[in-house]
This record gives sequence, structure tokens and C-alpha cells, in this order.
Amino acid sequence: MSGSSSEVNLKQTLRKLEYPLCAQEALKKIAELLCARVTNIKSMDLSLDLMAEFIFYELDRRGNKRCPAMSSLVELQLLQILYEFLNNIPNEASRNTLFLNLFSPITVNNRLGVLSKLVSLAIGIPSRSILIAASTWMQQLGNTSPSSCKLAEALVFDYAHLTPNTDDKLKNLSEVAPEFTANFLTAIAENYFIPNKESMLPPDVLLKCISDWVTDNSKLCISAQQRQALLPPGAIAMEATTPIAGLLRWCVLAPLYQHEQQIYSKLYLALLNSIMEIPRVNPPRAINVQHLTVIIQQLLQYLQDPKNKELLASGTNAMLQLALDRFGQAIQVALSVNAVYGHLDELFNGLNHLPNNRLLNIVIKRYNDSKGGPILIV
Amino acid sequence: MISQTTVVRNLPQHNLLDELKIFINETRNKQDSKNHVELTKTALLLLRKLPACRSAVFEYFCKVFDVAANHYIETIETEINTGRLPSPPESDELTISDIHLALNALILENSMSWAPTISSWSLELLGEISTKYSGRAHISTIFLDLNETLQLWMACRATRTLVDINTKCLSSLIHSNTEACISALLDTSVNHSPNFDWVVAHVGSCFPNTVITRVLSVGLKDFSQNRSYDQVQSSPKLKSVVGILGHLAGSHSKDIRQAIIEQFLWSLKDTFNDSELNRLQKKASVPYILQLAYLSPTLLSSISNETKNILSVEIIGKLCHHIEDWIKYFGTPEALENHVISLILKCQSGGIEILNLILNCAQITKLKGCNDSLKTDIREKATEMLENFLQELEDSVRCGKPVEILSSYAKNVRDINEMLLDSNKIISSTASRLILYLGHLNPAALVRSITYLLEYAKTSEQLSLVVKILTNELVDKSMYSDKGGHFSVVLEQILSRYIQKYSQSNEETHDLSQMWSNLLTLLEWEKSGKVSIMNSCIVSRALEENFINLTSVFSSEVHHSHIIAEILDKTEIPQPNTPYNSPIRFILNLTQSAVNYFFICCASEGTVTKVQGCKKACSILKRLCIFSKVAKVLALRELLERALFRSDNVLFGAKNSVVHDISEKLLLKQNKKINKCIPLTKHSTVFNGGVIGSGKRKAFVEDNLPAEVVASNTAELISILRACCSLPEEDKYSDISLDSMTLLSLLLVQFVSPDVMYNGLPWPEEEFCKVTIERDLFIRRIFTSTPLLWDLLSFVAVCRPALCYCSVLIRALTATLIHQWKSIGDQSPNLDNKNYKLLLETTIKVIDVMALGQLLPPPLCYVRDVLPSLRSFEIVDILRDCIWCYMRDHIPSPALFSCDPNGVHWRDPITARPPERYTNTLRIIMQRNIESLGHLYSQMFINIPKHDHV
Repeated sequence: MSGSSSEVNLKQTLRKLEYPLCAQEALKKIAELLCARVTNIKSMDLSLDLMAEFIFYELDRRGNKRCPAMSSLVELQLLQILYEFLNNIPNEASRNTLFLNLFSPITVNNRLGVLSKLVSLAIGIPSRSILIAASTWMQQLGNTSPSSCKLAEALVFDYAHLTPNTDDKLKNLSEVAPEFTANFLTAIAENYFIPNKESMLPPDVLLKCISDWVTDNSKLCISAQQRQALLPPGAIAMEATTPIAGLLRWCVLAPLYQHEQQIYSKLYLALLNSIMEIPRVNPPRAINVQHLTVIIQQLLQYLQDPKNKELLASGTNAMLQLALDRFGQAIQVALSVNAVYGHLDELFNGLNHLPNNRLLNIVIKRYNDSKGGPILIV
Repeated sequence: MISQTTVVRNLPQHNLLDELKIFINETRNKQDSKNHVELTKTALLLLRKLPACRSAVFEYFCKVFDVAANHYIETIETEINTGRLPSPPESDELTISDIHLALNALILENSMSWAPTISSWSLELLGEISTKYSGRAHISTIFLDLNETLQLWMACRATRTLVDINTKCLSSLIHSNTEACISALLDTSVNHSPNFDWVVAHVGSCFPNTVITRVLSVGLKDFSQNRSYDQVQSSPKLKSVVGILGHLAGSHSKDIRQAIIEQFLWSLKDTFNDSELNRLQKKASVPYILQLAYLSPTLLSSISNETKNILSVEIIGKLCHHIEDWIKYFGTPEALENHVISLILKCQSGGIEILNLILNCAQITKLKGCNDSLKTDIREKATEMLENFLQELEDSVRCGKPVEILSSYAKNVRDINEMLLDSNKIISSTASRLILYLGHLNPAALVRSITYLLEYAKTSEQLSLVVKILTNELVDKSMYSDKGGHFSVVLEQILSRYIQKYSQSNEETHDLSQMWSNLLTLLEWEKSGKVSIMNSCIVSRALEENFINLTSVFSSEVHHSHIIAEILDKTEIPQPNTPYNSPIRFILNLTQSAVNYFFICCASEGTVTKVQGCKKACSILKRLCIFSKVAKVLALRELLERALFRSDNVLFGAKNSVVHDISEKLLLKQNKKINKCIPLTKHSTVFNGGVIGSGKRKAFVEDNLPAEVVASNTAELISILRACCSLPEEDKYSDISLDSMTLLSLLLVQFVSPDVMYNGLPWPEEEFCKVTIERDLFIRRIFTSTPLLWDLLSFVAVCRPALCYCSVLIRALTATLIHQWKSIGDQSPNLDNKNYKLLLETTIKVIDVMALGQLLPPPLCYVRDVLPSLRSFEIVDILRDCIWCYMRDHIPSPALFSCDPNGVHWRDPITARPPERYTNTLRIIMQRNIESLGHLYSQMFINIPKHDHV
């Protein structure tokens, strides 16, 4: 009872403040509630209420939906408040906790706009703290989840489309926050080279930036796995997916869809280097077989499309061979550093369905040989 | 732009957060901040560096522009109120131009990403500003038209900048993503209509195609939601659409037309798979287009041009099924019909196509997908509409306020003229009414149409339209009254055109036979007196006015002379005692051409036309000669001259002596050569037996016309001469005027005798013939070569005493005969000898003529029967002692004749019997040949009839 009356009091106090200002107070209160030693369901509920009413301005005091959404200028004020508040939380765990709760999986769909702008600001200004929180958020929601992909898309639009030449903002990202960059890359990789999508190919600015990132820092791809995210007590840390399989998919498919090869060759080389750099761990965790079989499926889909058959007949065959070469080579390298986990037989089954390719044949043969004998991976 | 980038560069990186804070703090202030210029710079920096802030930045820009627009409006209002124009704050200019530059730079650098964002922002802002100030500074779409609004806003820096930015966005996206931009435009337009229309109109003129199509469809969507007529009337959307399209129509009428037609065709497509909304829109399409056309004359004219391409009877059949759905948009079926009719009346073009469509519907017989009752409905409706339409036209013409569609018809008079000739009565009567209306406005057009009708009408129904039109009350009778009325002008134009053409090419390029026969028919109708509306004699009056042209056509015409002659004949002009005063030029013209026509008839082969033609020529000439003495003189002279001396003389049996062999040298020239050496008397040069070396002169090749043709021609000539000489009113005994006959007789002398000397009536001593022998031979030769002269002499002889004036001819003939008989020596009658026979026949002919003219009394007049039995010297004696001497002593003059109470001149054969000394020679010769001439002798000398009292 006293709890509920204090809740009411709290809300009343907050309501006396004008909107963007009350957000700041509410944030303080929420941070207290969430990062307390003991948290209970009640305080969680209260914090959710406070967020909806005082931060994101979604509900009014009676819990009804507010009709006119806040104006952009007010939203900017909110963003500034969020930015400063989050940026100034010294404790990474508290920061991550607050961030994860603000944009929890249940509410994130409504708040994705604010989230994207917040992260965008964090890239632009920049703020490593917030980016790490965002990285954790992506990882916990799954860095290939729709929300993550949408976030990535919004960021790409901001920095690759709208301000492509904003000096080094993106370039520096890998140095400022490599973990975030790795998760960001995984999400980006999901967004492109999807057949029949309107913008299928990544913009050149982005592509160049990615290849630079991976070339400059061969450990970048696995950096999200390297650093354990700090989570609220009791939370289960989710394994981050590396962008390797996703980016490899780009490099394999690029010869078939795009003729500009220089940049993909560079990216491909950087990827191979990155795979080589993967530290040997048992069991391997860098590349999932599932993500590689996606590439096989996409290749087969491409080959079966009747409109591509003519193209293949008229000289793109060399391009197909290049694609298969890249694919085979990458698999072999990945296998050689024992970075692939999952059901390998499934992968090689799939490879058998691909068109004939010398390198690929060797890889398949080698695998079959090794399977016959003792499992020995050099 | 350069200044912008430098500003951005100068700012250190870490200041971004500070800049953001500054921006937020400044914008948080409710009151207008003073340093917009600085703040704008910050905002632009954020826009470039922190794309996440863009919506906030744009929101701020909204404020900036709004403030600027507000200032502008206030300035204008101040100007209106005080008359002074305060200068707008400079800061506005500065910030707006900064923003303008920066946004332009963004669009230029990266149009794909920025243009949609900026475009929709600018549109939304424009919409808001337009709406916000719509009632201010006389900016009101209710009272101002779209163009004025456009001008007002384009004078404002803020809005002009926005429109410019938006146009830049659209043009950078025109190939990739226009649709998105345009829909943003129209969405805004829907929200802020009608205040926003000026923007749409302006943008529309930059991207006409897309905008027009979309505006139309948005309008349709709105229109199809209307439930009633009142709703249609009060719909602001429709007005907006009309305003925008009207604005664009000036420069993009083609696109608009195309778009409207496409929409119409779309609405005709089958509706099986359509959504409910689409179906509703398709049904509303036609009423929608009709309303648009009603509200905007420019749209109407652009559609009406295309009637032919979009509407056909089949399509009307399809549309029939939807009329029920249309009515709600107009209130009642009558209102719909009135609406359509008023639209038709307003069309400035395509009128003829519309009319044809209605006419086709009125006669519909076959139509796919329509049952009989529907077809009947269509027919009846079309007929009713046609009638209403024509009635409206007539009313407008009567009021003197002609509707627009008449101008369209005026351009297509040619088509309407063709419709006049249509076998279908509805069509032709419609056309005739249209011609009437057009003619009321423009008499010249009426004249042209009547001309056309007159030239091409084939049936009496068609021809009757001429009369119907001309006698209609709508035709202004006072027009052309100085020229004899409309019909007279029609004739004048046809004839003058004809004359011009004929004189240019001398051949008929344009067949006028129908016209002539039509003219004749009209004249016949009028003369018949059965057609009451023709009692005003329009045709006769017109002909009278055009007689001069008509006659000149008649004289040069070859193809239609018969029919023209009939027309001229039918007019019965000139008539004495009529008010119409025929000018002398016309009389002479007509005379000349009638004579000409006569010879054409003679030359023509068909007997019926020939006889009829000659009859016509006779009747024309008769009227003329009675009317005017000059005409008579001219006619006689012409007739004689042509019949005797022109090439026409062949028709009357003349041996054409004018045909010369080219190789043959002219006799005149040869004689001149001879003249140099041997002086000869003047007349002796005529004799020339031939040229030495080339043998005797060849006899002429005779052009042989069949004798019966010559005879009939001669008869016709005589009868036409008789017609020329006839009396005004017929006498009991004779219809010939003696004066005319005298004239004819004198003319003969004039033509035949080459000399003016010794042409008098008296016969000299026979010895004197030596002096005139040459002339006599000349005359004789003419008689030989032109046998017609004999007939003429006979004709003259019959009308006593006219032959007296031909005395010289007879004298010459007689003289040559005596000479010839003398020169052949002593010969017994020898009819096998050709020359002898000819001589004898000629002698008999001369005596016959003299007997006919009662120049020779009995028994001398019987000499003709005696001569064939006599020897040549006896003939000489008779000719010299009896005939010549008698004639010498009894001068052949009218004095010899007495005139009886009936006006007939004659000599009593009993009292005029010659003294014996003129008959003794004859008697002795006859006694000498009594065995063969006994019966004649008794008749001539013994059984002489005597007056009882003697």
C-alpha cells in the first residue's frame, strides 16, 4: 500500500514538471529502481510505467495513448537528455541494464525511432559508452533479429546515405567501439544481397568502409565474442553472431550480381585474414554451419531462376566459377582453423549440389577422405 | 554553399554536443529568438553532422519560414492599410537564403537520399503556410483566382524558396522516384485544399504529365463520393481540380486532353475485377468529366476537339447502361440533359463531330449488346436532344447572342454543306437549319451554302431546300436587296467564277450541268405558280440581276447552251411593258448569243435538240426583235452574215471557198506581181485561170452535207428570220413586218453586192451591163457558191414588195445569164450537158423568184415553163427582149404594188399585164415551137383571165 502511494507521489511530483524535464527526473528514478540490489516485479512495473509516461511520452496520466506524438524538437530534447544521462552513468552494468530496459524486446518496436536516433547521435558525437550499451542490446536481442536489422538500416541511412562524406565518423567507429561495430556488421550483412529486394546491393560508401574496417582490424569480426558484455545480475548473456558468414555471403554472391569486383576482392581477402586470426577454441564458435548453408541455398536459388540461365550461358560462367572458388576457399580456410561449428555433413551435402568446380571438388574430397580416417584437422 | 562548408569546417569536432545543446536551448525558448541567423547556422551544421537531428532541424526551419511568411503578409497588409510598403526584416532574407543554399547543396550532392525528405517537408510546410494565411492580405481562394494567389505567393521570399527547393527535389527525382514526390504533393493538396492549389499548379507546370494525371484521379476519387447534386455543387475539391487544370491548360492542354481521355477510356473498361471503390469511380468518371468541362471552358475545348476519337455510337451504347448512376450527380435526368446540351453549345470546336454523333444515334439500327427497346430509347432521346439543341441554337441566334458552337460550325461549313445533300431527311433538314443560323450571322456563308446546294443538288428534295432556306424568316431579306436578294448573289458568284475559269483555261474544270438544270427546275417551279412560297419571284429576280453574266456565259458556253437557252427562254425577258428595264448591253449580248446558239443548234446532230433549240432561239430572238429595233438589226445582220459568209455557211449548202491549199499562192499576191508589168483595169485581176506550170486551178472540194440536212437547216434559218421580222401582235393575214423585210432585203444587197454604185432599183439599158459585168459575175458567183441565197430571195419575194430592194441582185443574175446564154452559141436543149442544165436551172430559178415577187406579171411569169424547150438563142431573145426590157421600163419599186385593206401588198395580174411589145418576141418564139408549147401558149396568150368589167 505504502509502495503504491509512493508510486502515486512520485508520478505526481514528476507530473508537475514540464515534459522533457520530467524525463530527466524519471530517468534518475528508473535507474535507481533497476539498479537496486534487490529488484522486484513491482519496481519493474513502475519503471515501465514511468518510461511510457514520462520518457517516451506514450501514455497520459490515465494510461490512454497520447494522440499527437511529440514534435521533433521535443524529441531532440529527449534524445539529448537520454544521451547525457546514459553517457554519464559510470557503471557499465547499470548503463546496459537501463538501456536494455528502455528498449526492451516488448517495447522496442514503438521506440525504435528514438533508439535509432540515440545511437546515431552516439556515433556522430561520439560516445563509446552508449555504443557499448547498444552493442549489448543488439547482442541480447540477437544481432540478426529484425530490431537489430532495422537499427542497422536506420544508421546506414543516416551515415551512408544522408551524410556519406561526414569525415571519418563511420571509419572511426571500429576504433571507438569494435564490439558495437562487429554486431552492427552482422546486422548489416543480413540487410543486403537479398534477392528481389529493392536495394539489394550495399551502398558503395558503406562497402568501402566495411572493407577498410575488416582489413585494418582482422580481429574486428570476433571482437563482440571477445569481450563479455556486462549484464544485470541474473541475466543470461547471449552469444554474439560474427559477421564472417554474412560478409562471406556478400563476397560469394557479388560476382553473380555485380561486376565491380575490386572492393569485394579486398573485403574477401580481409575476411580470409580475419578467419585465419580466429583463435582456436574448442568447441569452435566463430562460424555456424547454418549460416554457411544459407549461401548454398542462395546460390542454388540463383541458378534455378530461369532468367539467370541465359546469363550464365553467355559468359557469366566465369563469374560463377569465381563465386564457387571463393566459397570453397573460405570453407577450407575456416575448416583449417577449426572455426566452424554445427553439422558439417549437412554443409558438404549441400556443396555436392552446386555446379562443378575444381577447388570445391578438392575441398569436398578432402573432407570425405578425412571423414573416412581419424578426424584430423591440420 | 562555400560559406556553409567553411563554417562547418571551422568548428572543432568535440563541439558537436555543445552545438546540439545550444540548438536545443535556443529552440526551447517559446518567444522568437533574436538570433535566427546564428541559430540557423547551428541547425545547418547539425543537419550535416548529425543526421539524427534532421527532423528537429526541419521543424525549426518551419518556424523560420513561417515567421518570414508572416512578416511578408504583415507588410502587405500594412501596405494595403497605409499605402506604404515597409521593408521586410533583413534577417529573414539572410536565414532563408542560407537555408536555401544549404538544402540546394544537399540535393545536388545526394539527391536520392535527401530529395524525398526535403520534398515532403517543403510541401507540408507550404501547405501549412498557405492555409494559415489564406484569409489574410486578400489571399483568399474564394475571391481570388488561382493565378493571383500564385503571383502573391511567388512574390514572397519564403514560399518562393520553398517552391524552388521542392521543384529541385522533384526534378532530381523525375526519373527514379517521382511517384513518391507527387503523391506527397497531392496528399498535402488534399489536406490543405484549396489554399494549396497554387503550389500544385506551379509544380504541375514543371511536371505536367504526372501532376495532371494524379490531379484528375484525386478529383475523381472525391467526386465519386458525392451523393447528390448539391454536394457536387459545393465540392471545393472539384473547384481545386478545375483551378489547377485550368492553370495548366494554357501550356499543357495536350497533356490534359490525353489524361482526360485516358481516364474516360479507363472508365469504359470492364469492371469484373475491380474493387468497390474503383467501380464507383468508373461510374462517376463521365459525370466528373462533364462537370469539369462545365466549370472550365479551356478543358471543354480540349475535350471537344477529341470527340471524334473518344465517342462513337458503340460507346454511347455502352454508356447507356450507366446513366442511372449518373443522374444523382445532376439531380434529375432533365438536368443531365440540359447540362449536356449547354456543354455542347459551348464547344468551340468539334461541333460537327458532336452533331454527327447525335444524328447517328438518332438513326441507330444496329448496336451490339443492346436490345430493341434500348435502341428505341436511344433514337428517341437523340432526336429529342437534337431538337432541343437546334432550338437553343435558334434562340441564341434570334437574341443576337450566338453560342460558341456556331463558330465551330462556321469553320466546318463544307461538311454541313455535304450534309445538306444527304439522302436522309433528318440530316439534311438539320443541316439546313444550321445553315440558316449561320447565314443569319454571316450572309456570305449562307450564299456559299446555297451555291453549293445549287451546284450539287440531285433530287427535287435537295433542291427544295434552297427555296426553304431562302424563304425562311430568319434570312434577312434586306441584306443584298440592292443586288436582287441572296439568290441573285449566289448566281452572281457562280457565274463570275465560271466566267473567270472559262476564260482562263477555256475548258470546264467544274461540271455545272447540275447547276443549270437545277436553276431551270427552280425557274419552272416559280413560273408554274404552284409553289406559293416562291411568289416573291426570287429566281426571276436573281436571273434578271445576272442577265449580263448569264448572256456572256451563254455566248461562250458550249456544253450547256441548250439548258441555258431554255432558262433564258423561260424567263420571257425582255417583255415590253414590264417594270424591268433591260439594259441595252444585255439586249445586244443576248441577241448575239442567241444567234450564236442558233448556229450551234443547226450544227448539232440530234434532231430533237436541234429542233427544240431552234425553236428556243426563235422565241428568244422574236421577243428581242419585238422589244428593240437595235436587236432586230443586229440579229438579222448576224444571222445573214454568218449563214452566208462565215464557216457556218456550210450548214446551208455553201461550197466553202475560203479553204485554200497552203501551197497555193494567194491570188492577190500573184496579181500584184503581174500588176507591175501589165497595167490592167482594177477589176480584171479577179480572173485567173491558174498558175502557169501548175495547171488549171483545181475545182473546190465540196463539203457535202446531206441535202435533207441542208434543207432543214435552211428551213430553220428562214423561220428564225421570220421570227426576227415578226410583228408585235399577230395580224390576221400576216405576222411579218414589212419594214423588217425591207431591212432584210437591203441587208442582202449590202452583203451580196460588192459595189455601192449602181445598186439602185432601176434596170439600165442592156448595153450598160458591160460596165457592171464584173460586179454581176461576182454576185452570180456568190449565188452559185451559196445556194442559200436563192431561198432567202424566195423568202423575201414572198413578202411583197420587199424583193424590189433586191433588184440589183436579180438584175446582175439576169445580166450574167444573158451573157452566158449568148456565149454558148446555138445549142438545142441538151440536158445531158451539165453546164447547160445548170444554166437552165439557174435561169428558171431567177424567173421563179421574180414571178414569186410579182415583178413579172403574166404571161412573163410563165416563161420558166417555156425555156426548157427552146434553143439557146431563143432564150437569149426572150431574156433580153421580154424580161430585161420589161424590167427596164417598169422599175421594180414598191410603187408598183397596191395595198389592200388588210395591209397585203400585191399587183393585180390582170391589170398589170405588160404591153404587147414586151411579149411579142415570146409569142413569136412560142408560135415557132408551137408543137411542143401549144398548151402553154393557150394558157399564156389566149385564155387570159379578165376582170369582169373589162
